[in-house]
Amino acid sequence: MWAYFKFEFLNFIGNKKNIAIYVILLFFACYYALKIAPTYDPIEKVDVDEIEARYLTREEFLSTVVIHDDMHPLTYFATQIYPEWNYYDKERLDAIKDDNLKLYAEATTKWYTYSDSLIYKFGGDMIFYNAGYYTYGNDYPTMDGHYAYLYSASRYEGYATGKSDLSINVFEERTALQTLQRLLHSYLPLILIVSCILFTADIVLKDRRNPTLLQGLPLSDWRKLIIKGGVAFLGSILTILPLSVGLIIIGVRNGFGDFSLPVPLSIPLPALSTNELTFESISMGEYLIQNMLLLVLWFLLIISVLLFVSVLIKNEFANLLVGCVFIFAEFFYFSRGIGYYWDVQWFPSSYVQVGQVISGYRTFLYGFEKLTLSNGLAVLGLSTCIFLLFTFLISNHRKFKLL
Amino acid sequence: MIELKNIGVQFSGRDILKDISITFNSGEIIGLVAPNGTGKSTLMNVIMNYINPNNGKVVLNQELEYTSKKNEVKIHQLVSMMPDQSDLYNHISGKEHLKIYSSMWNSDPKLVASTIKTLGMDSYINKNTGTYSLGMRQRLCFAMQIVSDTQVMLMDEVMNGLDPTHVELISQILVQKKSEGKTIIVASHLLENLEKYADRIFFFINGELTHVNVISPGFDEKEMTTVRATEVTDTIKEKFSQEFPNTNLRSLPNGATLIDVLGFDSEELSNVVEFLKENEITEFSFGKVTLNDLYSMQYQKG
Repeated sequence: MWAYFKFEFLNFIGNKKNIAIYVILLFFACYYALKIAPTYDPIEKVDVDEIEARYLTREEFLSTVVIHDDMHPLTYFATQIYPEWNYYDKERLDAIKDDNLKLYAEATTKWYTYSDSLIYKFGGDMIFYNAGYYTYGNDYPTMDGHYAYLYSASRYEGYATGKSDLSINVFEERTALQTLQRLLHSYLPLILIVSCILFTADIVLKDRRNPTLLQGLPLSDWRKLIIKGGVAFLGSILTILPLSVGLIIIGVRNGFGDFSLPVPLSIPLPALSTNELTFESISMGEYLIQNMLLLVLWFLLIISVLLFVSVLIKNEFANLLVGCVFIFAEFFYFSRGIGYYWDVQWFPSSYVQVGQVISGYRTFLYGFEKLTLSNGLAVLGLSTCIFLLFTFLISNHRKFKLL
Repeated sequence: MIELKNIGVQFSGRDILKDISITFNSGEIIGLVAPNGTGKSTLMNVIMNYINPNNGKVVLNQELEYTSKKNEVKIHQLVSMMPDQSDLYNHISGKEHLKIYSSMWNSDPKLVASTIKTLGMDSYINKNTGTYSLGMRQRLCFAMQIVSDTQVMLMDEVMNGLDPTHVELISQILVQKKSEGKTIIVASHLLENLEKYADRIFFFINGELTHVNVISPGFDEKEMTTVRATEVTDTIKEKFSQEFPNTNLRSLPNGATLIDVLGFDSEELSNVVEFLKENEITEFSFGKVTLNDLYSMQYQKG
């Protein structure tokens, strides 16, 4: 078995298509690190000028306004909410000037909590979240702002109470590990799973080019398939190597961050729940492990599906098609709040946005509390077992020929 | 020992193998002779279970049959087929190929080095096979099967692309493997060479395996059976038939003329020689019918 694994792995790393995938990933990682990451412009950034402008404007308003019975209700409302708001902004400004980032984090978490409590309560027509959420095509800016403010409040609370070294880059989530976290929340899982599909699509069928060399090996078809799956899995895991080059570049430029940095997770709420959206933080290390766990199961599922299709249909394009259906199916049924109508937790494709599932953001978008890591592990694990079982049954049929 | 029992294979309604029943014993080399596309490779593919026969079965050592995938692995541990040189991995060295085969069959690792030495592959074995010539690739394929060291070895066109030195070398190795008790089944178009080392030779005729003795009685005997002459004109043949009415004369599509002299005494033989001399036929030889002659008789059209 080991000899066959070694042989398959030699073939895998010598395969021009696989080398091309690694090279493209390396290029992507470097391009991202050198060109895209520096232009990252978060909505929730540390913008001293903006805080100061807001603080001074409101301070001037508060110092000049005269409260009387005939004043406009909104003016009165402003006189009631600005003092506390400005107090937190002042604390933030002072903390930044004193280079006391711990204090800045403390003040900022209070600022976000207070801001959200006002905006969400009165949101929509009087006071607003950051203008960055009110973009063309976004039908849910208030909800997005609500999520982002509470997320930021939780994040800054973690910075304030944690032991990590703080910096503006940490606050703006620009360090290497935080960039990885953001990417996992974005398209990185799709890129990794697509790579896995490309690695696996021909791992069985390529043997048709060398039939006489391989047909007579004293190894059962099932074992060959499992070893091929193992090689595809290892190859998929090795995509970490080219991607880590990009992370190292980002780390050198913006700092690496550390594994104890807080990553807020939203607590899943049932559909139409009247409970408040809340967050709890886990460490960056824990978050990355959970992502790795779900990604590993995705790799295993994709590999088992493609092994099954390989023995059933014996066509690389069929493999690509079926693999793509698995990862892109969610685009066809996803819309915000759809979880209330559909039991989307049973579809493996609902878990393809790995980082968003773990952070709870996917649950928030679906309006559905069952899209959790544990459900994801169960659905993906069960699907993997089912496909492996079918592959086992087919490959053990007496008349089945792998090539 | 490997037994074929009533093996039948049909493709598109045409019988490729027709009810073949035969036993190949340990310590013997079997030669299979036939033009391309007549069923040699199909028979080997059936023995390896790459093709499911329409009927019949393969039995190894009187106990193992292809009744399950588990048995298939057991049989493949004992029966191997030489890979085709076009199937080698061009980006992997010859030595890696040998090591892989040796590890897969769990054979003696020393066999790798000794086979490389015996086949004179030291100078190129560490290079990627993409750089090899046809002959080098063929030797590697043969070496791969040797290092697998299985009890039964199937070789399709083993001498393909080899120079006479290596044809001789490989023939010697085959004889040595036979002496180790291996069953070796060789399909080859180098008929003179095959004749030298094969213990039994079969022709594929209409999907059946026909022993060479059936086609040419006495082929296996150490006896003079034939006078083989070339450039015999039709007039001379007619004259010969008149002079020797009880002697069989056959004209082959390859231009040779065979005079059947099985059981002739010295006087009868000298009469035949006298006749040939009188008719100015100077190129003739005494001996047996060759495989080339039989091949020509069976498969070539005049």
